[in-house]
Amino acid sequence: MKWIRAVAPALLMAALLAAQGLTSEKILHPTPDIWPTYNGDYSGRRFSKLDKINTSNIQSLSLAWVYRINSGGDRVGGAIKSTPLLVNGVLYFTIPDHVWAVDARTGKEVWQFTWQRSRGGIHLGNRGVGIYGNWLYFETPDCNLVSLNIKDGTERWHKQVCDLDRLYYASVAPIVIGNHVLVGVSGDDLDIPGYLDSRDPETGDLQWRWYTVPQKQGDPGLNTWPSLDAAKHGGGMTWVPSTYDPDLNLVYVGTGNPQPVIAGKAREGDNLFTESIVALHLDTGKMAWYFQCSPHDTHDWDAVQTPILIDGEIDGKPRKLVAQASRNGYFFVLDRVTGKNIVTSQFVKTNWAKGVKPNGEPIPDPAKMPQIDGALVSPNQGGAVNWPPSSFDPQTGLFYVNATRAYSEYYIFDTDEKPEGWGGNDRGGWAESMLQALDYKTGKICWSHKWEGAGIRSGVLSTAGGLVFAGDPVNNLVALNAKTGDPLWHANLGEAMSNGPMTYELDGAQYLVAGAGDTLYGFVMNATEPRQ
Amino acid sequence: MSKPGTWLLAAFFAALSLTANAQTARNSAGSPQLPNAPGKETVQKVCGNCHSANLVLGRGMTREEWSEVVASMISRGAKATQDEFAQVIDYLAKNFPPKSAPGASPASPRRGGGGGFTVGPNDKQIVDAASADRGKAIYSAGCESCHGDKARGTEKGPDLVRSVLVLHDRYGSTLKPFLAKGHPLQNGASASLNDQQIKDLSNFLHQQVNDTLRSGPYSKVLNVLTGDPKAGAAYFNSAGCNQCHSPTGDLAGIASKYDPPTLQQRFLFPRTIGFGRRGLAPTKPVTATVTSPDGTTVSGALDKIDDFNVSLRDASGEYHAWKRTPDLKVQINDPYSAHIELLDRYTDRDIHNVVAYLETLK
Repeated sequence: MKWIRAVAPALLMAALLAAQGLTSEKILHPTPDIWPTYNGDYSGRRFSKLDKINTSNIQSLSLAWVYRINSGGDRVGGAIKSTPLLVNGVLYFTIPDHVWAVDARTGKEVWQFTWQRSRGGIHLGNRGVGIYGNWLYFETPDCNLVSLNIKDGTERWHKQVCDLDRLYYASVAPIVIGNHVLVGVSGDDLDIPGYLDSRDPETGDLQWRWYTVPQKQGDPGLNTWPSLDAAKHGGGMTWVPSTYDPDLNLVYVGTGNPQPVIAGKAREGDNLFTESIVALHLDTGKMAWYFQCSPHDTHDWDAVQTPILIDGEIDGKPRKLVAQASRNGYFFVLDRVTGKNIVTSQFVKTNWAKGVKPNGEPIPDPAKMPQIDGALVSPNQGGAVNWPPSSFDPQTGLFYVNATRAYSEYYIFDTDEKPEGWGGNDRGGWAESMLQALDYKTGKICWSHKWEGAGIRSGVLSTAGGLVFAGDPVNNLVALNAKTGDPLWHANLGEAMSNGPMTYELDGAQYLVAGAGDTLYGFVMNATEPRQ
Repeated sequence: MSKPGTWLLAAFFAALSLTANAQTARNSAGSPQLPNAPGKETVQKVCGNCHSANLVLGRGMTREEWSEVVASMISRGAKATQDEFAQVIDYLAKNFPPKSAPGASPASPRRGGGGGFTVGPNDKQIVDAASADRGKAIYSAGCESCHGDKARGTEKGPDLVRSVLVLHDRYGSTLKPFLAKGHPLQNGASASLNDQQIKDLSNFLHQQVNDTLRSGPYSKVLNVLTGDPKAGAAYFNSAGCNQCHSPTGDLAGIASKYDPPTLQQRFLFPRTIGFGRRGLAPTKPVTATVTSPDGTTVSGALDKIDDFNVSLRDASGEYHAWKRTPDLKVQINDPYSAHIELLDRYTDRDIHNVVAYLETLK
C-alpha cells in the first residue's frame, strides 16, 4: 500500500512514543471497546458494527447512568456538543473551556479540567477532544491547543493556534493521524482567512498550515477573487473535524463560508476554496483536488459537514467515494481519488440555485442573494443541516441526515462599496425537520421521516443492529428502523439532544451515549437473547 | 422609517464581564449570575445551552429591543414554546431595562462600545465615545484621504478595520510606536501626535471595528418599501389573503401598529415572535382533535406532539394526553397553514408589493 510507504516511519515513531495508551494502529482499526476519534473512525460514517442493540430488542434498552456537568452551580454557557471519545473504559468530552473524563460503565467522574487562563472568545460550543498515546488534545475559545495527560487531566502544554484579537476562536475536535494533530479554526466576524494546521503531537509545533483562501500572488484560486486583499480576508473556516483515507493518505476537509459573510459585493467570483470539499496530502498539506459546494455563497452556508468516506459501487464498479449532505441543502457524492462529481441532488427542497453546472456545482441565483428589501430564501441561515454529523450505513447503503427545510428573509444592511464583517443577515423564518435516508448511488430519498415540530441540532448514528439513532425537535432520542424509517423507541431527555450519539461494547454489553444540554446519558442493553 | 435598529442584536452577542455592574451576583466559582426574578430558570433553560449569564449582564434595552433579539435567536435555532419566549423577553426587559447613558444625546444611536462583545478577547479596548469623537477629527484631517471615511482603505491606503496592528492595539499600545517611526509616508505629522491624540485616534479606529461587526449600527433593515401597493392589493385579493383578512377589518390600521420591516416579517412568518410597536404580537395556537378508537373526540390547543405521544388542553383548561397508536386519529390544525403554503409560491416581487400595500393601511 502506498500509504504504508508514506506513513510507516511516522507510524513507527508514533508506536514507540505511544507504547501505551491509544496507538495509531488502534485508531486505524478501532475495536468495539473504543471510540478513538470524533467520528469513531477516520471514515466519518458514524456506523457501528455492534448489533447487540438491534431492531428486535430495542424496547429493552435501559438507562445505565446519567452524568450532569457541574461547573459551580450555574450554567456555564455550554451544552454538550462534543462526541465523547472512549479509551480504556473512560469517556472524554468537552464544553468550551472544560474537559471531563467519566467512567463509561458507571458515569462516575474520573477528573475534570478547566482552562483557567481563558482570555475570551466565542463560547458557543466545543466539538470534543483528540487522543493519542496517553495525551489528550482540545481547543479553547481563546485560540489555544491544549494537551492534557489522560490519566489525571493535568496540563502538558498549550500552544496558540489562532489570533483572538482578529476574532478567531477555536472549537474543533482535533484529529490525530499518525504523527499529525489536525487542528481547525473558527470565527467569521471580521474577514479572516481560514486554515487547517498539522501540529506535532509531542510538542504542538506547527508542521504545516493549509490556508483555505489564497494568501499570496500565484496561489491557486486567486483568479476567483477580485483582489489578493479580498482573498486574504476571504474566510473559509475549518470548524468541523476532517476525515482520512489511509490508502490514499488524503485528508478530506470541509471549508466554511466566505467573508464578508452576507454582503458579497466586494468579493465577486467563486471565492475558492471556501465552501468546498478539499483533499489534502497528509504529509505536506498540499491540495490534491477540490470540489466547491457553493460558489460565491452569501448565506453563511459553510460546507464543513463531515465528508463521509464510502467504499461503494457505481455502475457495478467498486469506487472510493466521499459524500456530504451540505448546509446549502445539496447532497454531493464525489470520487475521492480524483474529486470528480458523481451525484448532485437536493436532500430538501431549496430555492437558491438556478441549476447545476456540468461539473456538479450548483449555480447561485443572483435574485436569491440577500437584498436591501429582502429575499425569501430556502434554506435559512441555520441551513438544511448544520454542524451535527450525518451517518452512512454500509448495510443499507443509505446516508442519513437530520435535515431541516426552512425559509427566512435575507437582507443587505451595509450598502458600502466595501462591506465588511457580515453586512447583512437573515430574519424571521419557518422550518420543518425530517430525517432523510439517501441512496448514495443516486442521491434519491429512499425514505423520509418527518418529525413533529422543527429545528434540529443533533447528529445521527447508524448501527449493524439495523438501527438509526437521532434526536427529534422535541427532546427525544429516537431509534428508527434503518431500512424503513419507522420510529421504534425513544427516550425524552428533557432537553434537545445536543451532540452526535456514539456507542461501544464493554464486558459484552453494548452501550449508547448521547448528550442533551448539560447532561450525558448512558444507555445499555441488558437483554442477552440473540438477534432474531 | 425602519425600526430602532436590528443592530441591537448586538447586545445578545455582547457580554459585559468587564463592566458588569456592582449588583451582579456571583456564584461560588466566581461566575456572574443572573438576578433572581421570575423567569430566571426559563432564561437559563432557553438561552443557557449557548450563552452564559455574562452575555446579558450589564446590558440594557427596551422590551421591543429585547424581543427583537429573541426573534433573531429563534431564527438561529433557539428552541422554546411561545410562552417560554414571552417569559424570556419579560425577564430581560424587566431586569435589563435601558440604562441612562450619561452624555448620550437621544439623537445619536448607541453603538458598539467595545468590551461587551463575546467575540474577541476579554481585554478588548473599551471605546470612550468622547475620545473617539476627538479621534475622528484627527483621522479626518490626517488619515481619511488615504484610508477612507470608514477606515476600510482606498487605493491609496490600506484597510485599518482589518489591520492586525489596529486589532492588536490597546489605547495606542501598537499605534504609538508605529506612528512615531513606522508610518510609510513619514511626513512628520503622525510622529507629532501626543499620547492623548494617539489614544483618541485608537478609540476612533476601534469604534470603526466595532461598528463593522454584526453588532454595529449598520446592522439594520434599511428599506423594504420598494413594491407597488396596487399590485400588492391585487395579489392580496387573488392569492387568497382576502379569504381570512380584510383591509377594513382585522388589518385596519395595521401599518400604524407595525413598521414596514415588521409588516413584512409578520405576514411571511406569522409565528415569528413579533417585535411590534406595542410589544409582543399575539400568535394563535395550533389546535388538535384526537379521536380515540372508541370514537370519543377531544379538541383543544395542542400542547405537545411527537412520534409517540400527543397532549392538548381543552377549552376548559383540562389537560389530556395519549400514547399514539395506529388507531388513534390525530388531526392538527395550524391557523397559519395558509401562510406557510404561500412560502413556496411567493415571488420576491409579490412580497414587496404586499408590504407596500399593507403600508397603506394606516
